[in-house]
Amino acid sequence: MNRNKVYPRYFALGALIIYFVFFFLPGLIGVGYSFTDWSAYSDELHFVGFQNFRTVFSADENYMKIISNTLAFTFITTVLKNVIGLILALLLTKSIRFLNMHRGIVFMPSVLSTLIIGMIFKSILDPKSGLLNSFFRSVGLEMLAQKWLVSSELAFGSVMAVDIWRGVGYIMTILIAGILSISSDYYEAAAIDGAGGWKKFWYITFPLILPTLATTTVLNVIYGLKVFDMVYALTNGGPGKATTEVLYTAVFKKFGTGQYAVGTALSSVMFVIMIIVGIYMIRIMTKNEVVE
Amino acid sequence: MKKKILVSLLSFTMVMGVLAGCGESASAPAASEPAAKEESAPADNGAAKEEAKPAETAAATADAGEDVTITFMASQDWIQDAEMELGEKFTEQTGIKVDYQIVPSDQYESLLMTKINAGECTDIFGGQSSQFSIVTQFNVEKNAVDLSGESWAGNVDPAAAVELSAGGKLYGQPIQDVSACWAVAYNIKTFEDLGLSIPTNYAEFCDVCEKIKAAGIIPIYECVSDGWHHVCWTEAAVAATQADASYPDALNENKATFEGNKELTTMFTQLKELADKGYMGDNYMSNEYADAPASIASGEYAMVLYNQGLGAEVNAADPSFPVDNIGYFVNPLCDNQALNVNYCGPSRFIFSGSKNIDAAKQYLAFMASDESLAYMTENVGKFNQLPYSNAPSAYSAVVQDFYDRYPKKVAVFQASVKYYNPAWMDIGADMSAMFLDEMTPEDVLKDIDKLRAEQAAAASDPAWN
Repeated sequence: MNRNKVYPRYFALGALIIYFVFFFLPGLIGVGYSFTDWSAYSDELHFVGFQNFRTVFSADENYMKIISNTLAFTFITTVLKNVIGLILALLLTKSIRFLNMHRGIVFMPSVLSTLIIGMIFKSILDPKSGLLNSFFRSVGLEMLAQKWLVSSELAFGSVMAVDIWRGVGYIMTILIAGILSISSDYYEAAAIDGAGGWKKFWYITFPLILPTLATTTVLNVIYGLKVFDMVYALTNGGPGKATTEVLYTAVFKKFGTGQYAVGTALSSVMFVIMIIVGIYMIRIMTKNEVVE
Repeated sequence: MKKKILVSLLSFTMVMGVLAGCGESASAPAASEPAAKEESAPADNGAAKEEAKPAETAAATADAGEDVTITFMASQDWIQDAEMELGEKFTEQTGIKVDYQIVPSDQYESLLMTKINAGECTDIFGGQSSQFSIVTQFNVEKNAVDLSGESWAGNVDPAAAVELSAGGKLYGQPIQDVSACWAVAYNIKTFEDLGLSIPTNYAEFCDVCEKIKAAGIIPIYECVSDGWHHVCWTEAAVAATQADASYPDALNENKATFEGNKELTTMFTQLKELADKGYMGDNYMSNEYADAPASIASGEYAMVLYNQGLGAEVNAADPSFPVDNIGYFVNPLCDNQALNVNYCGPSRFIFSGSKNIDAAKQYLAFMASDESLAYMTENVGKFNQLPYSNAPSAYSAVVQDFYDRYPKKVAVFQASVKYYNPAWMDIGADMSAMFLDEMTPEDVLKDIDKLRAEQAAAASDPAWN
């Protein structure tokens, strides 16, 4: 039996054709449309060069704010989901009572529909009759009762907080798997050498789960850049002009008003951002990777 | 050898699977064929019927199955409980089920337009009528079914029919009472207790608000979170039409702008002032339209911009609150004293790409029958006179008094100005930004011009190009 057998390249052809036709080509056509005046109001299509991109990057428009909102959302939720997820994963890999119940409770929001979570939280965060403000008022913390989703200062933070609550359980589960895969020999050896909890974490756990953290970061970043449903359900981009507007809600609205070309231009910008962020992120995250 | 045979068989199965998949998608356009037929239907009604036959055949094919379910998507508050009750009767009579898809109002327009533009809309969709926007926004000649030949079409009030027609063909069916207008509905008893009288200008309105506020009651219930209701205050723009009757036409010909108009600047400035003075309370940004009747019934609020059915709705929320304890006066921004009339309103359209056109037509015919119109008028508080010749009239004394008090009627911008209605939700977002001090009234007006220009450019309107 020839163990070094290399399969012929044409074996990959089927997969490549399917990928090209159903993924690459539509993407390419989408980018192509961003250079036209494609709209729902006319059957004619004209080449307009970079006009749509000029609109996207124009100072008179809100798109730069929308792009920065998307990047801020991605960065903040990724960092916090990873940090909180890691803390929870560390706590829930210890020998504590009702371990699986605790894990289940933290993981549960990830299974629920984002739209349903959005609607529930819209009610919970209602300034007048919402559960959160009612709780604050009932315990005498009136000053903490805020206009969570309708003030320009708090709305974006509130949306991110709900999203972190929803997504942290999922990240925690992946990190738990990563932590449990670390051999206990390392910890035993470290304990014999007199290492405390922090040193065990910093010199054993953290380096060995970096590949897992790279995975969760990639997942979070992709999710963050593509976020739509959470923002849509909670604020629909408001309050005001674009307080919590992100790229996909803006693209959705542009398609809604039949301005397809600007919508595809926004998607193209998003595509470029995702490629740049993706390449750099994978490079940085895999740079000092430790292999067990 | 056996392995090779297995590989060949598997490959063959996979190829057949892929081909079958392609076959499926290739047949998909056939389903939308009726749409193409509808599009090419000639103007003559008789001929239109002839042309509609393939659609009916397709529909009949669909109907041949036991279970026909038509889908009807509309914004929150457009489908009343009474309509859903009638829907059940319709199912009993015809066997056709109706799946109502009610979408939160702040998300409806985007969702509807995306569905229409993607060619995947529900069988029936709700949309605001307007002779301008049904063409520029919905492109009804392409996306909706011609209803001119339907038995009920001749019963539609001519003024309402104009707003639902394009190229001489009727494309929609009114859902609501379009005689009602957005006016300030007030608690009569509160006014009497505080010795207040109906204001006749903005200054008097502020005095009334101040006295109500001093009595510990929030003067105005406003609900910005719905995205559309606070825009109804802009119907006071009829003041601009009164100041210059040619202004709407000049806007339509792109010879005038919103920016710089004195009345409109005053209107937005005064609205912002009402919010800043605390007349709308603390929660106007998060309040919801659906809670308005209960909020008035509770006595927490004294007034709300509403149509002429609030009394019945407040009574439904609290039976101890008399129906006739709600009175009305016109929106007093810009010292307006004219009735802001709008024969546009939420309407039903049949999507041209629907596979159930015939069933959808049956539903529309059922809803326009004498019995259904009477049932809707009896059971929906705000429906006093549905715009059909066969609909009963049910104006109460309070409502009749309101209409009699303002003999001057002026059409609102939603009906008289092109590209205003399609920008409604965007204007709502701008106004929300204005309330949050992110935009000034002048910025809002400037942005309305920009929004209209974008729509006009996309529609290749010669006045803008």
